[in-house]
Amino acid sequence: MNTELPPARRAMVMMRVGITMMLKDRARFVGTVAGVVFAVVLAAQQLGIMFGLLQKNTMFVDSAAADIWIAPPGTELFQPGQRVPASTIDLARTTPGVHLASPLVVGGGTIKKPDGGNEGITLIGTDTSTWLGGPWNMVAGAREAILQPDTMIFETADREKFGGLNLESIREVSGHLVHVGGFTWGLIPFGPSYAFAEIDAARDMLGAASNRVDYVLVTVEPGMQTEEVVSRLKARMPDLKIISGPDFHTAIVTNLLKNQLGMSFGLSTSFGLIIGLVIVALSMFSSVIDNLREFGTLKAIGCTNRDLTALVLAQSVAYAVVGSLVGLFLVTRMAAGIRSARLVVITPAWLTGLVPIVMLVLCLLAAVLALYRVRKLEPGMVFR
Amino acid sequence: MTLEPMTGDAPAVTVRSLTKIFGGGATAYTALAGVDMDVRAREFLMLVGPSGSGKTTLLSILGCVLSATAGSAVVLGRDVTTMKPDELPAFRLQKIGFIFQGHNLIAALKSRDNVALVQELRGVPRAQALKDADEMLVAVGLAGKEHSLPGDLSGGQKQRVAIARALVGAPPIVLADEPTAALDAHSGHAVIELLKALTQERGTTVICVTHDPRIFSFADRIVNIEDGLIRPDDGSHS
Ligand SMILES: Nc1ncnc2c1ncn2[C@@H]1O[C@H](COP(=O)(O)OP(=O)(O)OP(=O)(O)O)[C@@H](O)[C@H]1O
Ligand SMILES: [Mg+2]
Repeated sequence: MNTELPPARRAMVMMRVGITMMLKDRARFVGTVAGVVFAVVLAAQQLGIMFGLLQKNTMFVDSAAADIWIAPPGTELFQPGQRVPASTIDLARTTPGVHLASPLVVGGGTIKKPDGGNEGITLIGTDTSTWLGGPWNMVAGAREAILQPDTMIFETADREKFGGLNLESIREVSGHLVHVGGFTWGLIPFGPSYAFAEIDAARDMLGAASNRVDYVLVTVEPGMQTEEVVSRLKARMPDLKIISGPDFHTAIVTNLLKNQLGMSFGLSTSFGLIIGLVIVALSMFSSVIDNLREFGTLKAIGCTNRDLTALVLAQSVAYAVVGSLVGLFLVTRMAAGIRSARLVVITPAWLTGLVPIVMLVLCLLAAVLALYRVRKLEPGMVFR
Repeated sequence: MTLEPMTGDAPAVTVRSLTKIFGGGATAYTALAGVDMDVRAREFLMLVGPSGSGKTTLLSILGCVLSATAGSAVVLGRDVTTMKPDELPAFRLQKIGFIFQGHNLIAALKSRDNVALVQELRGVPRAQALKDADEMLVAVGLAGKEHSLPGDLSGGQKQRVAIARALVGAPPIVLADEPTAALDAHSGHAVIELLKALTQERGTTVICVTHDPRIFSFADRIVNIEDGLIRPDDGSHS
């Protein structure tokens, strides 16, 4: 009499049969993998675009080099149109633990094109004594250019849009003639691109009071805990929103996900996953139906339901692995192809790591229907 | 590693009052109406009868792929009608070789892998299982076809692979349902001749359902079944 085969080895035998069967049916294999690839590409692409859009809204906060933001009450996003009292700066500067406190002005401006039309800009007035909230990602010129009178830095991706901007071009911005002193790359939020001026020049262009302050950007003294300084500032300015840079980032992301982005990208991502699930499920189910006699034969010669489960699951794991690899390869290539100053597709490493796991779950779920059919199959059918 | 053939004169199969009713109520159909039958160890028995007489039904119950409605069917000392469902696959795997009307090979597997699979499931290490398979393929006259896929073989060759799969590891009983029906007369004759020779040398008990009078001469005994009953005038011949 033969010895009982250990379950793990027996499962290996069945998995080998499953993989062989899967590879033999090349058309179905390619079709099913394509389904997984579709799900990976669509889901990762949608999430990548969503992260890109989130980044558009957080990039100023991320790059402003401020440990702490002082903003008007109720601030949820970084955008123009909010004010804090001018006295805030002195209050902040005299708070123990504060290293620097700089005003920032943000407003909507217009740039007049040579042909007469107007385009919007998001005018940023930077305190050039600290450069907190100053231009970054410079691709031409230097940020110090705005120290020159009536000189601004614009977004390179909008040069055409603004009527063929070049270094030293002269344009009318909100009624003031300015020189183009440099260009940034990719500084385009949801609204018009950021354009930087020295803070007093910006106030001038905006027709604002000479003490207008929209935000105060704070850095803490070396060795100080940001949270500690935040609470001190809060104690002195209970009516203002005082938030650390990272918390502001998180608040913006949360706000956008809750309000709009989360819903629409959640839907399109789920759509990709559901389509993938359906394709894989139908393919695996039809594979069982097409090979019903073979599965019946396996049962008749002594395979158990557990054996056939191993066979089917090996196939679904293989679909997930191959589909994830091909899909991620395509996503990486596509993200590189799409990347522009207007839209950066961001696929963080954790997303790349998550894809195969999600696809594995998806493919295992997709196997349920096929497994149900296989388990229900009567071995007696082989004699019919 | 091989399975032990039945020894002594204990009957391989003892069927008593075996009844199978398909469905229920008004549409109930009695396929087996109380079959009594004995099959001796090492006997090559042919089961013949008109279409719909219950041959396949009887074979299916003996092969543990169909449950009985009433009666008993003792196969190799165990009443298969009372066995627990989760015992059946192992019993089939270890004790019974199946040959179907179609070859029922796994299309994706080479002939040797089709044959070796049974041995591997029985716990034979892969290398040995492949060796057993190759030997069996030589025995059925398919030397050189070990690496062929079923799709590349003729009908007769495929049925030979199926015979190799049924006989590898020498299970004590082989159940065959019209193994020649899908073959032309010449290959059919060759296949049954092979089955007879191989099972005889291994001491295997064979129950073979057939419609084909040309192969009756290979039987040790022929049992007639009609309307779900064994015909009483049944005699043995050899
Ligand atoms: N699952 C089933 N449900 C209902 N009736 C069935 C079922 N299986 C078989 N039958 C009926 O039982 C009877 C016996 O069938 P069986 O297949 O055993 O006949 P057979 O002798 O093998 O016939 P054939 O020579 O045509 O293969 C037939 O009338 C058939 O229609
Ligand atoms: Mg039949």
